[in-house]
Amino acid sequence: MRSSRGLKAVGRNVLRKDGVEKVSGAARYIDDLSFPNLLHARTIRSTIPSGHVVDIQYHGDTTGFTIVDHRDVPGRNIVALIDDDQPCLAERTIRHFAEPIVLLAHENRERLNAVDVQIAYREATPNFDPAASKTSFKTIAIEKGSLDEGFAAADVVVEGEYRAGHQEQLYIEPNGAIAVPAGGGITLYGSMQCPYYVHRALKVLLGLPDHKVRVIQTETGGGFGGKEEYPSMIAGHAALLALKAGRPVKLVYDRVEDMVATTKRHPAVIHHRTGVTRDGRLTAIDIDALFDGGAYATLSAVVLSRGLIHASGPYRCDHVRIRGRAVMTNTPPNGAFRGFGAPQTQLAAEIHMDRIAGQLGLDPVRVREINALRPGDTTATGQRLGDCSALQVLRAAVERSAFKRRRRALAGTNRGIGLALFFHGSGFTGGGEVALASKASLALTGRGARIFVASTEIGQGTRTMHAQIVADTLGVPYDCVEVNAADTGEVPNSGPTVASRTCMVVGRILQRCAEEMRERLGTLTPGEYLRTHGPLVITKQYEKSSAIAWDDHSYRGDAYGSYGWACDVVEVEVDPDTWQVKPTAFTTVHEIGKAIHPMLASGQIEGGSAQGIGYALFEEVVMRDGRMANCQLTNYIVPTTLDTPAIDVVMLENPYKHGPFGAKGVGEMPIDGPAPAIINALRHMGIDLREIPATPEKIMAASAERTGSGITKSRSARRYTKPSSKTLHALREKP
Amino acid sequence: MKTFTNVNARDLRQAVARSADARQSGQAASFAGGGSDLLALMKERIVRPDVIVSLKPIKGLDQLTPGGGGITIGGLITLDALSRDARIHRQYAVLAEAAASVATPQIRNVGTLAGNLCQRPWCWYYRNGFPCLKAGGSQCFSVSGENQFHAIFGGGPSYIVHPSDTAPALVALDATFRIVGPSGEREVPAADFFVLPRQNAAAENVLANDELLASVHVPTAAGGMRSMYEKVLDREAWTHAVVSAAVVLRMDGQTCRDARVVLGGVAPIPWRLPEVERLLTGQRITEEVAARAGELAVAGARPLAKNGYKVPLTNALVRRTVLELARRA
Ligand SMILES: Cc1cc2nc3c(=O)[nH]c(=O)nc-3n(C[C@H](O)[C@H](O)[C@H](O)COP(=O)(O)OP(=O)(O)OC[C@H]3O[C@@H](n4cnc5c(N)ncnc54)[C@H](O)[C@@H]3O)c2cc1C
Ligand code: SF4
Repeated sequence: MRSSRGLKAVGRNVLRKDGVEKVSGAARYIDDLSFPNLLHARTIRSTIPSGHVVDIQYHGDTTGFTIVDHRDVPGRNIVALIDDDQPCLAERTIRHFAEPIVLLAHENRERLNAVDVQIAYREATPNFDPAASKTSFKTIAIEKGSLDEGFAAADVVVEGEYRAGHQEQLYIEPNGAIAVPAGGGITLYGSMQCPYYVHRALKVLLGLPDHKVRVIQTETGGGFGGKEEYPSMIAGHAALLALKAGRPVKLVYDRVEDMVATTKRHPAVIHHRTGVTRDGRLTAIDIDALFDGGAYATLSAVVLSRGLIHASGPYRCDHVRIRGRAVMTNTPPNGAFRGFGAPQTQLAAEIHMDRIAGQLGLDPVRVREINALRPGDTTATGQRLGDCSALQVLRAAVERSAFKRRRRALAGTNRGIGLALFFHGSGFTGGGEVALASKASLALTGRGARIFVASTEIGQGTRTMHAQIVADTLGVPYDCVEVNAADTGEVPNSGPTVASRTCMVVGRILQRCAEEMRERLGTLTPGEYLRTHGPLVITKQYEKSSAIAWDDHSYRGDAYGSYGWACDVVEVEVDPDTWQVKPTAFTTVHEIGKAIHPMLASGQIEGGSAQGIGYALFEEVVMRDGRMANCQLTNYIVPTTLDTPAIDVVMLENPYKHGPFGAKGVGEMPIDGPAPAIINALRHMGIDLREIPATPEKIMAASAERTGSGITKSRSARRYTKPSSKTLHALREKP
Repeated sequence: MKTFTNVNARDLRQAVARSADARQSGQAASFAGGGSDLLALMKERIVRPDVIVSLKPIKGLDQLTPGGGGITIGGLITLDALSRDARIHRQYAVLAEAAASVATPQIRNVGTLAGNLCQRPWCWYYRNGFPCLKAGGSQCFSVSGENQFHAIFGGGPSYIVHPSDTAPALVALDATFRIVGPSGEREVPAADFFVLPRQNAAAENVLANDELLASVHVPTAAGGMRSMYEKVLDREAWTHAVVSAAVVLRMDGQTCRDARVVLGGVAPIPWRLPEVERLLTGQRITEEVAARAGELAVAGARPLAKNGYKVPLTNALVRRTVLELARRA
């Protein structure tokens, strides 16, 4: 790679660009902003999961209110995304609880909340069961080789069904937006991942041309996918009110509204049927996946696509069929969430792998060693892998965690150890990056350069990492690179900040800008260049490497430019009285090409692992009649630092030739592994679980099944006995 | 949140008077300790006081005062200070441990003992603004809805569990609560402070309008007394008890001379187990006795559709807490 001159920023833990402002409290989030004549807004939502609006009545004093319903939409009443099926404001049909119907705005919040809006409905029978759904948002089939041939070569066939529930993204800052009318158009400030998604959605909704809509990302307190598509909805609402009122409008959700109304991770049911030889070689893989999309399509089609492409895990097999559907139910729409379908499907693949090992009497490491993808192998979509680190990460994790020794030592106790091997494609799936045609710009400044991208800083380190790449490519100090705000009035469309693409894809475009800039500078310093030649702005667009080929029709080819590879090893302890599971040791080895900023990269891995522990053990969305019943932080239980063990992160680097300095993506992969590793640790203790979250209730039931004794009548979900670590200790130490 | 007036009380008498004044002029008034529960309820618009009478400025109400055959704990002491006090630790470990198990350091730093004892229910329905019995409505939504955290004892017509960790500890310590109101002062045993929904579905305690909880008196620990608080929760911190046990034993060698066993998280009030106490009294606490105590503890349990798991959990918790405490040197 471009390592001829020593790297001064890349590979080092330079100060975050946004660090000082965030820790000093100077950073301004959406609710910190105000404008003269600001109105506050409130969303009136459906209180039924399915039916029709019959009548709307306002009780209370509505003088001075701005009231908006679907009739006030000047353009098309949709949240423009993939399928244009979701209205920005419901007209007559209600498909889910908390669907927005009416918007209110007033300058006085107390008066705003005092008005009571009564909506009469004609209720229809809702469907909450994906298996019974009659509406498919997307169906995909991936086929390779011949299943008949594969199963004919098998000695053993292993089957199983695996389930994952909803998960809430739970960014710290809820969704929020401020719309300001400006020159017949609108300027929108908001907490978001994808300014140009919002830009497009507003143009369609408001019927405005490009230049009349400007979207500015404010400092954003986390996203995890939850601010990929939803901001287009809340921005639309604020904008409709602002246009009607002719005044700035602020709409910020509180936690309850954010939890009840916005997207979550898709629940999934995944069925595996696998042919395997007696010595452990996979001969046939047949997978069927059902994703619950909720009431509208949102991103279900692409979530399903990524899920299915990862469904057979990082394993070689000549005969594969992977089929899947994302269907409609009458719950709020599910959408983007870190991992984007892959956590569900790799959960199934990795639990299944341990069951295969168990059935064959093989060790879980051995069965993975036999089948792990190697350079030159092809994936389920027929992508031939150049580099591939599956075996390296597996071996490194097994060695570092002393997996084999610990597995013997813990056998027969109330502790277990399990592992999961997984991979994650970086960037948009298939032809997605070509379609996006992302652009990035670099402007020469007196000291160095200024970056112009729509890629957002949402806590993950975008500004820092991009500046590092530019600094070392251009040959200027890191401090001499500035990053412009993600403001569609100023930056080109570098695509959404999703899909682990911001470093690998956008970072590479920026690097190409910097390379050209360096050439143009020649021997001149930036200051000299500007004085001699005037301003210099370089804009580049994504260029597909000629080696990448994808056919969207047959779902064959190079699904991703590159993949990251990882292996998690988790030790857990189960309390024999309360059935609570406590992860006690966590080792993770990630091969991510190149860690541009090792501390930030490792932070992504630790955070993703913690979120994965939550997914595995704690986070249960209780849906009652299509409505989230535990929509508060006191009852939707996420792990705290006390619930997550120290996470031992190892990063391996195997540079990707089309990534900046060899980097691939890192943001999503860490959440794919913890859940199956934990479930496999339970399996090591003889607890056969095939579903997450693995609540004490399920573990108790599974254990009772195993021992034939005990209490099965119990229902629900409780977890941690607290204090008496002493008591627990005593129980643990018992022979 | 609705706009409100804040009144800083100088002393108890004034606090009560200001609350009564407000009420007489048709305004709703609430007392505030640390405000950690009250403000959350106000933000969700579940309670909407016009006047808040803040008790924080009252001098001396956050003190521990020995005397009267025990120790008097001012209602405004923070949970953190209570959990760290050496005397409380030494003599009343169950109370120190209960206070230390509440929520998080932040909440323990602002939350007061009185506020903790008077906090409102954490039933999902109540906290989500459903117009249920606790909110002045006429029905309970949990009984046929989500009731995984609800009562297995003493339920009906509301099925909340009393949320306070310090409450079972104080009942187990035979504490007395001092109440101050417009017509003067009264004292009630801790166990009589809390009321079942069948007595009063809208409230959790005997406090009348404009009455406040001023202090708590705990009698001197008898010789040989030891105590502990054990709490099962959803994660390691920051949540209420799923089930908890406050156990006080007076031991004479290996033999138990007197016992108090009070459960949290299972009933609308701290749930005392007199049969279990009788079983333990006069016994050597063996594994077998502890196991019988666990069984007896759940003898009268009446779980709802989704909280049956609390029965074996309570059984196990009583068994292991009694055994652990008896074995402590
Ligand atoms: C996330 C979270 C987790 C929690 N976990 C736990 C837990 O594990 N265990 C636990 O026990 N509690 C828990 N709590 C509750 C917490 O302990 C209480 O919020 C706190 O103790 C209340 O104290 P305060 O002084 O702030 O009360 P305030 O909020 O001031 O008052 C609470 C209520 O009591 C009334 N009140 C206050 N003082 C008096 C008085 N002197 N006389 C009469 N009425 C009064 C108020 O009007 C109000 O209705 C949790 C709370 C939160 C938010
Ligand atoms: S249990 Fe009590 S607080 Fe909960 S819904 Fe029923 S009445 Fe309301």
